[in-house]
Amino acid sequence: MARVLVADDSETILLLLRTRLEIEGHGVETAADGQQVVDAVRDATTPHDIFLLDAMMPRKSGIDALRELRGEGVETPTLIVSAHTDGGNGEDHADLAIDAYITKPIDFDRLFAKIAELTGGT
Amino acid sequence: MIAFAILTGLAVIGVARFLQQRQDFENATSRSYQREIEARNQLTRGEHPAAARATIVSQQSKRQALRNEISSETRDTALLVGAGLIAGLTGAALLFTGLISSMRRPLEDLVDASGRLAGGDLDARVEIGGLSETATLGGAFNEMAEELQRRAGERDQLDRMKDEFVLTASHELRSPLTSVQGFAELLLLEREKLDPKQAETVEVILDNTRHLVRLLNDLLDLARSDAGRLAIKPVPTDAAALVEEAVRTMRAQFDARAQRLELEIEPGLPRVEADRDRIRQVLVNLLTNANEYCPEGAGIGVKVGRNDADVEIDVSDDGPGIPEDQLAHIFERFSRGDAGETQRVGGTGLGLAISKSLVELHAGTIDAESAPGEGSTFRVRLPAIASPDRAELN
Repeated sequence: MARVLVADDSETILLLLRTRLEIEGHGVETAADGQQVVDAVRDATTPHDIFLLDAMMPRKSGIDALRELRGEGVETPTLIVSAHTDGGNGEDHADLAIDAYITKPIDFDRLFAKIAELTGGT
Repeated sequence: MIAFAILTGLAVIGVARFLQQRQDFENATSRSYQREIEARNQLTRGEHPAAARATIVSQQSKRQALRNEISSETRDTALLVGAGLIAGLTGAALLFTGLISSMRRPLEDLVDASGRLAGGDLDARVEIGGLSETATLGGAFNEMAEELQRRAGERDQLDRMKDEFVLTASHELRSPLTSVQGFAELLLLEREKLDPKQAETVEVILDNTRHLVRLLNDLLDLARSDAGRLAIKPVPTDAAALVEEAVRTMRAQFDARAQRLELEIEPGLPRVEADRDRIRQVLVNLLTNANEYCPEGAGIGVKVGRNDADVEIDVSDDGPGIPEDQLAHIFERFSRGDAGETQRVGGTGLGLAISKSLVELHAGTIDAESAPGEGSTFRVRLPAIASPDRAELN
């Protein structure tokens, strides 16, 4: 199963995501903001299979963290979780190679299907 | 103005002088008669007859001279007065005309500006000038226009704040809702560990959370629509396929209420420019309304066909129909059936308002036809893409 790096500034949502992902059999590492995401990726001994990042977080957003990582050549598949129903905050971020936007409230069936699709799992 | 005053003054002076000359003439003449009468009395009495005769003659000639003098003076004065009067009257006439035109211009400007203001041009102002009366009027008009513009500005700002508030609030509400819905779903994943009462309670939480999310999405759509930010991404689309898709997603709900759903699609329809998600949202909204407002066992018909340059999608039912007073407001926000129905149906009351906004964004139209006891028909028209191939075929 996949190694997932999950970032959200809400502890409750992190707990929810971790619980649901672990029930599905995924390995989960969490981050509370964009900087923690960047640090976690740099410190990782085994690379993550997929990123699940909240678009808006204080200090450094998921989008900014991803921009930084893509700049460093990190090509990990990425799902952006957004409270906006129109996807990426109305912007395209075509340069960031975002694989899909997941809107809140999260449709877990769709989320699991996307993870399986992007990590070659079932 | 000054010239007019001078001329009028001249006429007055002339008249005064004429009166004075007349008085002097009367006095001098009467004195002369007095002297002649005295001389004639002397002559009658036989005193200094030669001197008396001489006095009579001299007084008579003096009066003649006086008469000559007064008539020439009168003529001069009359000329003066006449000239003065003519000049004065001309001046008055000129002044009056000037007065009228100096009032007319500002009044015309005022009428013009009022028209523009009424037409919505809040920048309309008049130039202040002319007589003090019209200047006051112009000033008052400008103040009024200023005030109107200020209030319109305040109203626009309030509108923007309202839109911004709804956008932010619905965004902020989404995170806690995600947790509530997520954890309720988590509980249901282990349904076997819950007793039936607990499982039912969690179902209620989930149902209400989903309703709240729907409401939030609808409010967000409306706020976006109001702010002019409801964007669509239209692509050439097969409307019939979209309708089939919407019908498929709704099939279970119709079956659950034993309602018959008939789909009729005209072959060879042209495509339409449509944002698939948004038009599907409109269709699902119409189908959901038919499903929820019609009794069990009702018949629902969906027809897709051509209507001039449009593709028309009709959703009709043989349900209870809509009373005229409700039909008139059916596309307004929170306009719904009577309270009992609303309770049972449980929609957000925003669906048709959003559908209308969405269809209009596609340059289409949506309307409703209904009468109590005769069912309802909702009709969506989307402009067909003009196909050159088709034109050749025809």
